[in-house]
Amino acid sequence: MSKRFTGLKAWWVQRVSAVYMLCFVLFLLVSFALHPLQTYPRWHAWMARPSTSAAFMVFFVALLGHMWVGLRDVLLDYARPAGLRRVLLAAVAFGLLGLVLWLLWILLRLQA
Amino acid sequence: MKLSISRYNPERDVKPYLQDYEIELIPTDHMLLDVLLRLKAQDNTLSFRKSCREGVCGSDAMNINGRNGLACITRTSELREPVVIRPLPGFPIIRDLFVDMTQFFNQYHSVTPYLVAPEPPPARERLQSPAERDKLNGAYECILCACCTSQCPSYWWNPDKFVGPAGLIQAYRFIFDSRDGATQQRLDDLDSDPYRLFRCRTIMNCAEVCPKGLEPVQAIERIRLKIAGMRDQVGGLDVHPPKSPR
Repeated sequence: MSKRFTGLKAWWVQRVSAVYMLCFVLFLLVSFALHPLQTYPRWHAWMARPSTSAAFMVFFVALLGHMWVGLRDVLLDYARPAGLRRVLLAAVAFGLLGLVLWLLWILLRLQA
Repeated sequence: MKLSISRYNPERDVKPYLQDYEIELIPTDHMLLDVLLRLKAQDNTLSFRKSCREGVCGSDAMNINGRNGLACITRTSELREPVVIRPLPGFPIIRDLFVDMTQFFNQYHSVTPYLVAPEPPPARERLQSPAERDKLNGAYECILCACCTSQCPSYWWNPDKFVGPAGLIQAYRFIFDSRDGATQQRLDDLDSDPYRLFRCRTIMNCAEVCPKGLEPVQAIERIRLKIAGMRDQVGGLDVHPPKSPR
């Protein structure tokens, strides 16, 4: 298994992503409480702002990175034999990559 | 008292099975080990380890009603019946409640569990300040009973690669010892393989079952923080009142 995303690096990914997600969710809750987006046009305008889109992009990349480390660890422990584990890891990786592309498509469409 | 004890004779049995016992408790049966010793007097084929019978040597670690603990400090009055006793989970069974601890001790030895002193011994002892000594609290008390490592799912799946909580609390004990001269080598060794230290997923079974109330999970996190370059925390590890099997 590649060492590039294991050990200390994976530990950092999980912690940094968790901190960002926590801060971002708290920011959203406070923001929505103070400035409710009650109509679709207002929500659309808010989401289309580059800063909002970028913050959401970072949030989902953090979420998917966090998911990858967690799911990978579960599969490393429980998926046997090694062939099955490789297939499942590839499926998870492709699934997460698909989600990133889908997210990019949604965020770019909002800019249009 | 009703007991169900795991039995396995490698010369006769294909796999372990539970054998039921019933024994009348007498006033001196304070601890589960007292009952097991009287059972063994009746059935001398029943095999288990024991030595100090007061929670110091760690020999009689076993799985009692689903939870690892030491039979010699598990009160009979607090146990739910039938008391189901199995060998330590995740370890190869040799016979009845005897388990093969070779892998466990190999992992323990792999962390160099002794002081590596940079200089020849001084005329008197190697000195430490009280604050430096405090860092070892919560780690030096480990008796290597293996209750924690045997209850750790990360160790179950990778016993050959993951050091396990008992080995890692020993690693902590020397990494944070001010007299040790091999701190960086110890950290490099634990960081050299993604399994040795970082397979711990903070499940916390180790802290839950430790009969001494130690918290290996906290030792593991402090080692990770040190590898990540964070500043050391003041003081030793937390110690909580231990919970016995029930």
